[in-house]
Amino acid sequence: MFESRVLPVKNKLFRFAFRLLGSSEEAKDVVQEVFIKVWNGRDQMASIDNMEAWCMRITRNLSLDKIRARQRKATDPIEESFDIQNDSRTPYEATENSENMQRINQLIASLPEKQRQVMHLRDIEGYSYNEICEILELDMNQVKVNLFRARNAVREKFVKINAYGL
Amino acid sequence: MPMDSKEIGQLLEKYWNCETSLEEEQVLRSYFNGPNVPDQLKDAAELFRFFENERQRALSTEFDHNVMQSVKKTESKTKVISMFRWVQVARIAAGVLVMVAAGYFVRNEVLKSKDQSQAITDTFSDPKDALEETKKALMLISKSFGKAKEGAGKINMINEAEQKISGKEKQKETETDSKSI
Repeated sequence: MFESRVLPVKNKLFRFAFRLLGSSEEAKDVVQEVFIKVWNGRDQMASIDNMEAWCMRITRNLSLDKIRARQRKATDPIEESFDIQNDSRTPYEATENSENMQRINQLIASLPEKQRQVMHLRDIEGYSYNEICEILELDMNQVKVNLFRARNAVREKFVKINAYGL
Repeated sequence: MPMDSKEIGQLLEKYWNCETSLEEEQVLRSYFNGPNVPDQLKDAAELFRFFENERQRALSTEFDHNVMQSVKKTESKTKVISMFRWVQVARIAAGVLVMVAAGYFVRNEVLKSKDQSQAITDTFSDPKDALEETKKALMLISKSFGKAKEGAGKINMINEAEQKISGKEKQKETETDSKSI
């Protein structure tokens, strides 16, 4: 049950934690913590209807805890840790990582936390609005407002207005 | 279903306004990851390619193995912790047991002494019997007092005799004195 229901979502959890933390090492730690939590609570697994959303929610909470701990230390600014990611990338990713990709990455990283979370869940992972509500514990209106702001921030800063000549 | 750039432009406009469905977003994604993207849509294409790239990011295959190991490790750790907790619980329970036992014995002793004091006051159920018995007891005491009084009377007689003797001696002394004078 654990291996068939939980392990397959590991990459989604990892990407979400990575989006929030900007460091693949920390993201890995978070995913491991999530699995330990889920494993210890596996007796209650049957009563959870959306296992994946539940895991994503734990991932988010643990990642935010890590960010808060980091801010308390204040020795490890977020910008710095976002640079670390370049070292941890595979050669494949490094070649794919064109200048534009980096610009988009930084642009999304600079978005307010909620906007970044909603955009990640919708545009990268392809979750429905209802699932996003469940994962982020937000209502539909908040999810849509945050997605709208995120997309428009990216559009204004990256995609030239009327560049596609309507 | 191939789409022309105009349709894609319209869909993209819907996308910016958050009016696209997941299916429509999937159409945009596959279009922009395709080969024939016109120049005017290049920036948007970069964004959708970025999304697609990010979706490929994955954990290494050793992760499953590592995570299962660490999961099992924490499980044995929690077992040790729970054993340790049981020992602590047993200690506290033993302490409580001693206290309860001590309390029980003290309470028994207190009850016993209470029973005894009640036994002294409550030997008769009928008040008449109790009165008779009390009278007997008082009579016994009064008889004893009587005997004691008789005894004391005898002591008194001795005293009186002594006084009489000493009185006679004094008289003799005065008689002899007057004779000598």
